[in-house]
Amino acid sequence: MVTKAFSLEDGNLSRKTLLGTKTREYKDIDLTFTNKPSGDIYKKNEAAAVKQAVKNLLLTNTTEKPFEPYYGGDLNAFLFSLSEDFDVEDIRDYIFTAISNYEPRAAVIDVQALIVPDRHDVKVTVVFQVVNTSEVVSIDITLARLR
Amino acid sequence: MATTIRTTDLDFDNIKSRLKTFFQSKSEFADYDFEASGLSNILDVLAYNTHINGLIANFALNESFLNTAQLRSSVVSHAEILGYVPRSKTASKAVVKLSLSNSAVDRPSRITLPSNWTFTTEIDDQSYTFQTREAYVAVDDGTGTYNFLTSSGSDEIILTEGIEKTKTFLVGDTGDQQVYVIPDITIDTTTLIVKVYEATTSSDFVTYSNINTAIRINPDSRHYSIKEVPNGYYEIIFGDGSTLGQAPVSGNKVEITYLSSNGADANAGDTFTSNNFLTVGASDYPISVTTVAESSGGSDKEGIESIRSNAPSLFASQQRMVTAEDYKAQILSKYSEYLIDAVSWGGEENVPPIYGRAYVSLRFVENTTEETKQVVKNDIVNNLSKNLSVMGIDTVFADPINTYLELITTFNFDPDQTNITPRTAENDVLGVIRDYFVVNLARYGTVFRRSNILTEIDRLTPAILNSRMDVRLQQRFTPVVNEIRNYKISFPVPLQLPNKETYTLTSSKFTFNGIRCTFRNKLNSSVIQIIDVLGNLIASNIGSYDAETGVVDIIGTNIENFEGDNIKISVVPFNQSTVRPLRNYLLTYDPTRSTARAIIDRQRVSTAVTL
Repeated sequence: MVTKAFSLEDGNLSRKTLLGTKTREYKDIDLTFTNKPSGDIYKKNEAAAVKQAVKNLLLTNTTEKPFEPYYGGDLNAFLFSLSEDFDVEDIRDYIFTAISNYEPRAAVIDVQALIVPDRHDVKVTVVFQVVNTSEVVSIDITLARLR
Repeated sequence: MATTIRTTDLDFDNIKSRLKTFFQSKSEFADYDFEASGLSNILDVLAYNTHINGLIANFALNESFLNTAQLRSSVVSHAEILGYVPRSKTASKAVVKLSLSNSAVDRPSRITLPSNWTFTTEIDDQSYTFQTREAYVAVDDGTGTYNFLTSSGSDEIILTEGIEKTKTFLVGDTGDQQVYVIPDITIDTTTLIVKVYEATTSSDFVTYSNINTAIRINPDSRHYSIKEVPNGYYEIIFGDGSTLGQAPVSGNKVEITYLSSNGADANAGDTFTSNNFLTVGASDYPISVTTVAESSGGSDKEGIESIRSNAPSLFASQQRMVTAEDYKAQILSKYSEYLIDAVSWGGEENVPPIYGRAYVSLRFVENTTEETKQVVKNDIVNNLSKNLSVMGIDTVFADPINTYLELITTFNFDPDQTNITPRTAENDVLGVIRDYFVVNLARYGTVFRRSNILTEIDRLTPAILNSRMDVRLQQRFTPVVNEIRNYKISFPVPLQLPNKETYTLTSSKFTFNGIRCTFRNKLNSSVIQIIDVLGNLIASNIGSYDAETGVVDIIGTNIENFEGDNIKISVVPFNQSTVRPLRNYLLTYDPTRSTARAIIDRQRVSTAVTL
């Protein structure tokens, strides 16, 4: 693993990895609400918490969140558009905009989208880095009409 | 450290912020302040739920009080608790003379025009039906002309707008506790006639009257009460059959007739045509109609604000007329379709005091005819005062007295801060003043406050930097020309004391001894003099003014001619900041003697660079 060297003035972090520079833990509730044997629910920690947040963001439609009309990736809206009305670039723009506006913990590295009009499918892969860490996370989202 | 979550806020963001504050003190979760996190989603749900519950509780509490309720159904319900029945739509009424010509040799000596005889008028290309509400009889005058007369002998017949509708109900068992619903929002409840038949086949009936007109209620009374229900319909309720008066019993038939009205839309109809010919003998004859007073008095359902204002007053008056507020409440509740406002005062407060009288001044809605005004006044005396007021107190009507305000407004105006010209700004300021009077000073007892109007002027545009206003009051009187007369002019407020710098009293021009003159007080004195247009003294003492009482006395003056319709006496009030009129005085804006002037005041400061 690459080791980053920092000066003493910058906090004498020379012996720590980049991951170690993040002082705040990410701890979120697991939205699957799976319970532990003790009855408590599981948590999502660190990169898993950010991954859940990004997925959550992208699958939220605009106007869905109370008093935040522009919040959301609005990917579901593509399912109800004609395939000629949008292209991969549109999807990329939506995702970049949503994450940069609403998820400061993720820095998008790449977005790949595959539109399959015959199957009414949109497959999206988002690759991002958890900010202040070296962790790179990939999310696959498949949107398909049920009927 | 927060240990509880404060939820008194109504705003969503504040509630969510409180929840986040709570999570800050806990170590289990850390992502609450990232909008995309799962926890933030849950906080959204919690905050939204709290927000909605808070709003619902707020709305529900608002609707629980007469003062704050917003829904008509809530206001009506609160008014009902106070015994107040909001006014329904009211049918417009017109006064006409009806006659018929029949030159047949075998013509009858008298003919009868049945009740509910319909007429049509057109207003704005819309046709409206009017009808008589009782039968009228006409007697041959010897030439074959029949003029229909009322039972009191008057030839002025009232036509009421609307279409008569009938609702028939069969009375069930007493245990059913029937309420009779009239699903019609156009009903004029004052036209309601409630008849109760013994059986469905009976032709004999007894009539029930509205409980609001009841002087007393005993077990033999036959009254109904009517109320508006939340959906805007009406319900008729009878007594309990014992202490609160009689009630229909099982097997009876209740027949309710009323006029379905168009309210205010049918006002101002002036040409009426009978819809049918009247059959006399074997022939049909047209009825000729002469309009005495165009249709007026039609109004829509009483508004929420009117109910809010009138219900407590009527409750306080307790169906009696003793105090001045009782008179106002009773009159406004019964005749609000004709009136903008009413005011009352005891004879002991009158100037001069006359004991044993209750003075009432009515401000009628625009375009009310003199005939209608007289009908309303007679009705107030006959139906209200005689039944509800204290014995020995006469009701006397006093016309409203207009006190005109002359407002000289100047304001500093910076043209650099706006696109409008100073002249446009002056017109806008005059518009603000005009609107202020319409909105704030249309009723009796309303107070002119100079600072309020100046605030509105300052708010008009940022280009108006500051403003000031000189206030003068004006009363008008019409002199008897070429006769030596005394005139007494009363102002509703104290006047400015005499001083050596400004004239308290001035007037419009008139002719005296062949010279065009004006009235003016002598400086440092309350003596009134006559001055010609060049300022020369023509008469040194023709009266005086009393600054404390606001009374101006002009003694023994022969006015030969005057400009305009009357002479205008203008005075400076003692307090220009607040003008609080008394009794039947109404404050009115005089645009002909009011001005607004912009003083250019550029705020731009030229900068200089010093080297």
